[in-house]
Amino acid sequence: MIDLIRGVGIGALDRLGSLGNATILWLTALSGLPRRGDLALLARQIYTIGVLSLVIIVLSAFSIGAVIALQFYVQLSRFGAEEAVGLGLAMVLLRELGPVVTALLFAGRAGSAITAEIGLMKSTEQLSSMEMMGVDPLHRIVAPRLWAGLLCMPLLTAIFNVVAIYGGMVVAVHWLGSDPGGFWSGMQDTVEVWEDLGKGMIKSVIFAVVVTWIAVYQGYATEPTAEGIGLSTTRTVVMSSVMVLALDFLLTLGMYGDFN
Amino acid sequence: MQMRTIEISVGAFVLAGFLALVVLVVQVSGVTLTMSPDTHRLLAEFDDVAGLRVRAKVSMAGVTIGRVSRIDVEPSYGVAIVEMEINDRSWPLPVDTGARILTEGILGARYIGLMPGADEEVLEEGGYITDTQGALVLENLIGELVTRLGAS
Amino acid sequence: MAEDTFIEIRDLHFSRGERKIFDGLSMTIPRGQITGIMGPSGTGKTTLLRIIGGQVRPDAGEVIVAGHDVCRMSREELFEFRKNIGMLFQSSALFTDLSVYENVAFPLRVHTELPEDSIRDLVLLKLNAVGLRGARDLFPAELSGGMARRVALARAIALDPALLMYDEPFTGQDPISMGVLVKLIKSLNQALETTNIVVSHDIHETSSIADKLYIISDGKVIGAGAPEALRADGSPWVQQFMHGSPDGPVPFHYPADELLYDVLAEVGP
Repeated sequence: MIDLIRGVGIGALDRLGSLGNATILWLTALSGLPRRGDLALLARQIYTIGVLSLVIIVLSAFSIGAVIALQFYVQLSRFGAEEAVGLGLAMVLLRELGPVVTALLFAGRAGSAITAEIGLMKSTEQLSSMEMMGVDPLHRIVAPRLWAGLLCMPLLTAIFNVVAIYGGMVVAVHWLGSDPGGFWSGMQDTVEVWEDLGKGMIKSVIFAVVVTWIAVYQGYATEPTAEGIGLSTTRTVVMSSVMVLALDFLLTLGMYGDFN
Repeated sequence: MQMRTIEISVGAFVLAGFLALVVLVVQVSGVTLTMSPDTHRLLAEFDDVAGLRVRAKVSMAGVTIGRVSRIDVEPSYGVAIVEMEINDRSWPLPVDTGARILTEGILGARYIGLMPGADEEVLEEGGYITDTQGALVLENLIGELVTRLGAS
Repeated sequence: MAEDTFIEIRDLHFSRGERKIFDGLSMTIPRGQITGIMGPSGTGKTTLLRIIGGQVRPDAGEVIVAGHDVCRMSREELFEFRKNIGMLFQSSALFTDLSVYENVAFPLRVHTELPEDSIRDLVLLKLNAVGLRGARDLFPAELSGGMARRVALARAIALDPALLMYDEPFTGQDPISMGVLVKLIKSLNQALETTNIVVSHDIHETSSIADKLYIISDGKVIGAGAPEALRADGSPWVQQFMHGSPDGPVPFHYPADELLYDVLAEVGP
């Protein structure tokens, strides 16, 4: 029994230690003035993290938008309220699905890629040799990825939302025959810039911070063993997903908690 | 991967992202750039505003002429005070204009419908609409119906 | 022979967790010569190189390189200092996202403001010195292990450093690559008059090129001197190492019970 408590205690201290390390990593990487050539590094990371994620984001967005519109339409038509499809779709996407699904997809695609890259660099001593040449790997490798993640994810969320809404529109209007005027006006009348879009975007930024942070830290903390990189990337995806979903719950409560 | 290609695609990506945001703001949230700067305040008291939200539309003869800007409650009398912003084009309105809380469709959103009045005197800025009828709450209606049926 | 000391390490102490890696280690590295540091795996030889390079701070002791104590250097001083060090890692540690050319150009871009033409000339010269000028546009993934190491060497000498450190350069090399590497190390040493430190557990190759050898075990120096002198050294430990004997002060058997008891234990009641 004592051993169990001891184990939990040590585990907790370890976690705290990791969190501390991760925070130091974060702060160190983001401090320091940008230098010439940093923009090129950042651009390259935006490409790898953002541009290359577009395919999966767009495809998923279209499917999800279409499916949700379909399901909403079916349920709403039971009450004769089909014109609310546009409204319901927009609300659900902007407030929840946009930020959350984008974050999950991002963690799986870009997050794991970041972890694997950094992990590989660590294992093959590239980070060490960089240091030996007087280049701070935190500045050259970690910081561009952190900034790129912070920038790309909200943009990807916006793109996700737009594509999903249009996907839903295609299904609702062109396939199921819902009235396009009602689709859009219902949406426009009720969706609010700050309450729905704004708060959703804030969620997205928070998720971006969390996912990128986890991805970078796991890469940096990779064990130099054969399974090391595989373990780290798995950890990135799992931890990111859990954190995103848990945070979403808390954020939703906090932002929309007044359910009266 | 040439640097040039990367630069271009990154630029395109960021542009697409911002465009998406713009679309979301304009097309989805219905924010109009010509948000009329000239609006006029009107107030109205209702004993039940069930379901009415801020930013609900205010319409006359089916045309949207304004928005609900605030909803407060006066605790001592138990009435709700609704503040509306009316477009300049639809101003001024006669003092005997009526305001009802209506529902869009069967399960739709609540909105305020204004009935035109005939008086020559017009409402002032911040004036009160006196002819008001509160929201019809389904449960109350059913309750009334049951009572009537029971009585007969 | 009076030694012109380039690096002096005094009473170095370093622990990782509970393990004591260096326990009062002291050594002197002569200028312009090839010094080999040998010892069994896990004695922290790579860590020693990292301490010399300022990547790792020891718990106690001094590491004085050309008159400056590395352990007390500030960030800016370390940056300047590293211009004069070239390190060849065990895994060559080439940047996988850069071409061979860009890899060698990297230290030049970091530490100098040279125009592109000058950088190009220098890179090609260094690549030529290791015989890989024609491979400049390849990427690390396309190189064989031996070639990768040579590119890493070209990168290490890009700034004509005063100190070159090699971490296990002979491990896992075929005889031809080995020969090439040995030749390069020797010729670079002569041409550039650099101070070289070779960390290895390959006795044969290291002895053939080193002017001075150090043997480390249990965090201390247990043998030092010219290779031939060490071979004739009386201490049993040094003897076992130099001749590669399977049994001696480092035992063959991992500690266990007497064989008889172990085997009999299988026979139950």
